[in-house]
Amino acid sequence: MLQLLGLTAGYHGGTVLHGVDLTVAAGTVHAVVGRNGAGKTTLVHTVAGLLRPASGRVLLDGLDLAGRPAHRIARAGVGLVPQGRRVFASLTVAEHLRLAHRPPRSADRPGVWTPERVLGLLPRLGERLGTRGANLSGGEQQMLALARALLSSPRVLLLDEPTEGLSPELADRVHSLARTSADEGMAVLLVCPSPAQAIGCADTLTVLTSGRTALRMDGAAARADAAPLRAALDLTPARD
Amino acid sequence: MGLLDAHLVPAVDGVAYGLLLFVVAAGLSLAFGTAGVLNLAHGTLYAIGAYAGAACGDGTWGGLVLGLAAGTAVAGAAGAGLSFAAFPLARRGHLAQALLTFGLALVGGDLLVQVFGADEPPVRVPGALDTSVTLLGHRYPAYRLGFIVMAVLLAAFGSWVLARTRAGAAVRAAADDPRMLAATGVSPRAVHLGVLTAAGALAGGAGVLGAPIIGPGPGTSENVLMLSLVVVVLGGLRSPWATLLAAVAVGEVQTLGVAVAPDLAPYLLFAAMAVALIARPRATEPPGGHDPSPTPAPDPLTWLRTRAKTLPWRRTRAKTPLGTGENAKGWDGVGRGTPASSPGRTGTGASLPERTGGKASLPGVALARRVAVPALVFGALLLLPGVLDAYTVSLAGSALALGLLAVSVTLLTGHAGLPTLGQTAPFAVGAYTTAVLAGAGWTAGPVQVVLAALAAVVFCLVTGPAVVRARSTTVLMITLAVGELASAVAGRLTSVTGGADGLVGFPPTRALWGTAGMVEERDVYTYALVVTALAVAVTLLVLRSPAGRLLAGARGAEARMRASGHPVGRYLLVAYVGAGALAGIGGSLTVTVQQYLSPADVGFEIAAFALLAAVIGGTTSVVGALCGAALIVLTRDWVAGAWPGHGPLLLGVLFVVAVYLLPRGLAGLRRGPNDAAAGGHALLPAPAAPPNDKVPT
Repeated sequence: MLQLLGLTAGYHGGTVLHGVDLTVAAGTVHAVVGRNGAGKTTLVHTVAGLLRPASGRVLLDGLDLAGRPAHRIARAGVGLVPQGRRVFASLTVAEHLRLAHRPPRSADRPGVWTPERVLGLLPRLGERLGTRGANLSGGEQQMLALARALLSSPRVLLLDEPTEGLSPELADRVHSLARTSADEGMAVLLVCPSPAQAIGCADTLTVLTSGRTALRMDGAAARADAAPLRAALDLTPARD
Repeated sequence: MGLLDAHLVPAVDGVAYGLLLFVVAAGLSLAFGTAGVLNLAHGTLYAIGAYAGAACGDGTWGGLVLGLAAGTAVAGAAGAGLSFAAFPLARRGHLAQALLTFGLALVGGDLLVQVFGADEPPVRVPGALDTSVTLLGHRYPAYRLGFIVMAVLLAAFGSWVLARTRAGAAVRAAADDPRMLAATGVSPRAVHLGVLTAAGALAGGAGVLGAPIIGPGPGTSENVLMLSLVVVVLGGLRSPWATLLAAVAVGEVQTLGVAVAPDLAPYLLFAAMAVALIARPRATEPPGGHDPSPTPAPDPLTWLRTRAKTLPWRRTRAKTPLGTGENAKGWDGVGRGTPASSPGRTGTGASLPERTGGKASLPGVALARRVAVPALVFGALLLLPGVLDAYTVSLAGSALALGLLAVSVTLLTGHAGLPTLGQTAPFAVGAYTTAVLAGAGWTAGPVQVVLAALAAVVFCLVTGPAVVRARSTTVLMITLAVGELASAVAGRLTSVTGGADGLVGFPPTRALWGTAGMVEERDVYTYALVVTALAVAVTLLVLRSPAGRLLAGARGAEARMRASGHPVGRYLLVAYVGAGALAGIGGSLTVTVQQYLSPADVGFEIAAFALLAAVIGGTTSVVGALCGAALIVLTRDWVAGAWPGHGPLLLGVLFVVAVYLLPRGLAGLRRGPNDAAAGGHALLPAPAAPPNDKVPT
């Protein structure tokens, strides 16, 4: 379970997140939606340790990760699929898989991922094993970024706009993969700009506005009536 | 066939030499490409190995193996030490790390001389290899053939590790995107340590095996460093094969080239380097990913300070933010009762509280202060000869000349954003122009200064287009090539420059037409002070004019400036030419002050000193650069006088101390230590808020 308590973070220039509280239970998908500049990527980067929080706590099954270096957080069980994929340009697909594969030391991981299993789910990568990251198509890069995160058998999966620029079929594939991971017991934090992309697979939705949580809704309730969600996204003032 | 036959021996020598350079340059390129460290101590690592090889080599195989083990281990450990020293500076960029490694190289060179003496020790190879074999009808040393085999094996092993192992994949990933690699669970610190240790071990091993080819001695470090830098620049950072080709080409120039065309060989190398950089200005940039992270970097001092605040007995305030100077700044703002101002402006607002006080805000008083303070400083400096002995006064004159060079470096590095190691080139042009003019009887100071500046301007107009096309570290390398080329010319063009003997015996400069030549130190000093003050005043006026703001814009947001229709390249060229003129004036003053000029006065060391002076000054502060130059001359000539023979050691320590303790230079001290964000702009108004394009939200 991932718990954020009063998380405040920013860059030199100003604070972006103002005390965000958020819980992603194991086995669920928690979608965070918000406009450009709402602080979604800052949230993900702070959890992953790419950005040091100014204050607040990031609890992974009770263990406080806030302020630790990124590689420790990754080893503690946080997998990141960053915005823009960020695959390693000069590494082949096979090298990505080898570099990212870290068999979990403890048995309490929700699911154990091996290169074979990942390639079984994402067969396209198997055809491109010798291709360098820079030469993959956008969709293939996204698959590779997902594979890279899954291969550490994480407890928490952070997906930052994973369907950006993908065809609808591929986007569906990504969402169903997120769902599958959650069903195995992973806590999935899914970030996307509009609720339409997340509403299908999310158990909980949070609207982030100007670095603060503006609304929290149950997934089922949102599927039944998305009006409050849209209101929270449209009518709240933009970032000050 | 006859030609080939006659030159077969140097040609094969060239291959051996080239492979040696390849092994050394591979380490340099690895450290730069993946760890982001432009390791100017790499030659010292080679020298460690070479000395170890000479010390352990006793003509047996056991001696060679022992030397190899010792040299590799010690140089590897030194590489690891470099990693520990440089890693905390990683977020401050290449410049700080390059200066740190240069300081450590000076210290290491001094230590090596302490341990092994200043002579070049003889190197013995195992008896079985100490013979010659017949190669296509020529006698050829067996050791060199053996070395070629060893170097090929070493290179093959290195390529295999890099291309085929998981560790090698991690290293290449670190070059691509270090932060993403960290998010994949690999410690960037471990990669940094591993890469620098491996690079050190490679250089050390190459030193042991290569000692019979490039032997140990006081000049080894710089020689090897320069040659391997040339190899890296020629080969680029992308392909090991290109590096190999470049290394063999450089080796051939150094052996075959010297045999065939001894006069041209020294120019050939650096000319080739310059051509390679002009043709592919982006080739030597580390491939991606090294842009500073959006997290404000806790420099060591701020870190210590914030740590001290979190110690149990200091924990009086409720909640202590850990790590970033950002929070500490916020506190001080609260503590002084100043309201939080807008981001990017906090720098000047919080750090100069007296400006918000009533008196200073009156424009008349501010103007008076602006004029009065420099006038007072100038007056005090004018009176200096009255209280100092002649030697110190002449040192002060040298400091002024070096100070102008440092100001010119500041102009380029801090204001134009082109970090330079080659301002010694226009400096040399100005210096030699003055010396030659004086020799021809043109001794009037104004004529010398103006013509020196003009010559430097012409020189910069020729070299400028190559420099202003490049950015960041590539500029360091291009300017290094320009500087080295100039110093090679100075050493070779004996008819004009006097070669290595230098120029001496020309008549002294006359301050004005009709006055007598200046021979008294105090007169020379006063002349140098007036010229410096005028040059600095003009520089400051230009920097404060709209032209200065355009330059600041070009540095801070080049793409936006271009998009707004500004010809950024032309601005940079003007800045480069202006900086060249300043350096030329500095060169002219050097000649007037010293009454002597040799290639050592315009060499790489002087370039590094000028860069350090600029960094000590805070990279953008003109006055800071002058102070930095004074500090360096003081250390080199005055403090070192009390401890003879250890000038390099003291300067090395100065480099290291300055890089660690003055992250924003002397100018940063003035603005208060907690003002982390705004950069070193003491004399400029605070820059606009940092560009936000890279900050994800």
